[in-house]
Amino acid sequence: MATINANITISSNIMGYPTNINKSMSMKKLGSCHGLEETTGLSNKKFASTDAVVLIAHTEGTAGKANKVYMRNTGSSKAEHFYVALNGSAAAAGTTEAIGKLYGGDWMLMPWEATANASHSITVVPSTAEPMTIEWMIFQE
Amino acid sequence: MATTTASVSISSNDLQPGNRLSINATSTLMKTGLTTGLELMDMGKGHLTTATAADALIESSALAGDHDSANYFYLCNNATDDTFHILVAINATDVGRLNAGEWMFIPYAQADAGAEINITASGGTCPYEYAIFKSASTLAAATA
Repeated sequence: MATINANITISSNIMGYPTNINKSMSMKKLGSCHGLEETTGLSNKKFASTDAVVLIAHTEGTAGKANKVYMRNTGSSKAEHFYVALNGSAAAAGTTEAIGKLYGGDWMLMPWEATANASHSITVVPSTAEPMTIEWMIFQE
Repeated sequence: MATTTASVSISSNDLQPGNRLSINATSTLMKTGLTTGLELMDMGKGHLTTATAADALIESSALAGDHDSANYFYLCNNATDDTFHILVAINATDVGRLNAGEWMFIPYAQADAGAEINITASGGTCPYEYAIFKSASTLAAATA
């Protein structure tokens, strides 16, 4: 059993007063007090086209478990992004269940169902053909 | 201009033997494709009871002008019983399961009118907290 800790801090002055969110978690197996044990390791890939690509295939995770996926656009441009989606086919945009856009420097950490179906693969679509890099890491049971 | 920043640190001493994991990232969240800060937020907390059907926590905008935009969503399952979890979905597609004490943070494009964020509790009632930070939101026309 491994111990994987993740902390988030969000601060904002959108309201007329400061808003702060601070939360820590230890990633655990589903319904268990034991920690996740496996990872793909930290990966990164440089893109130079706007083609949609399956970045994480559903086969890399285990369905119905408490998998987690971390992703970050390592760039700095707030004009360009990776569009992240759950998608059965990188080419079949019509089947996409879009998640959101990761602009330069943006990151995400989400639970991943990894249902044994291509519809739960994770697809990314760069917004530009200019070089842009994404990093990611899977944590699973 | 408002400033909203989101930071994460992920660490483990024993996930990869001989290779201590330490990830740190910070981002200043901006409006869609711009360098001006987000201007809308909504946050709250509640108790999610177990049910056979999901509950919509965040409704997607019905207005096309708000779709495919830069928004960010945070959710934490504040349950303390390890056997309780929250299943999160966008529209009818399951995203993943948050165990007791776990949180998530994702960009949320609200890609179309049906892209609501749905949650379902399993095991028992889950206290939760959430926040959403938005680029903008077009007000709907009055109905009366």
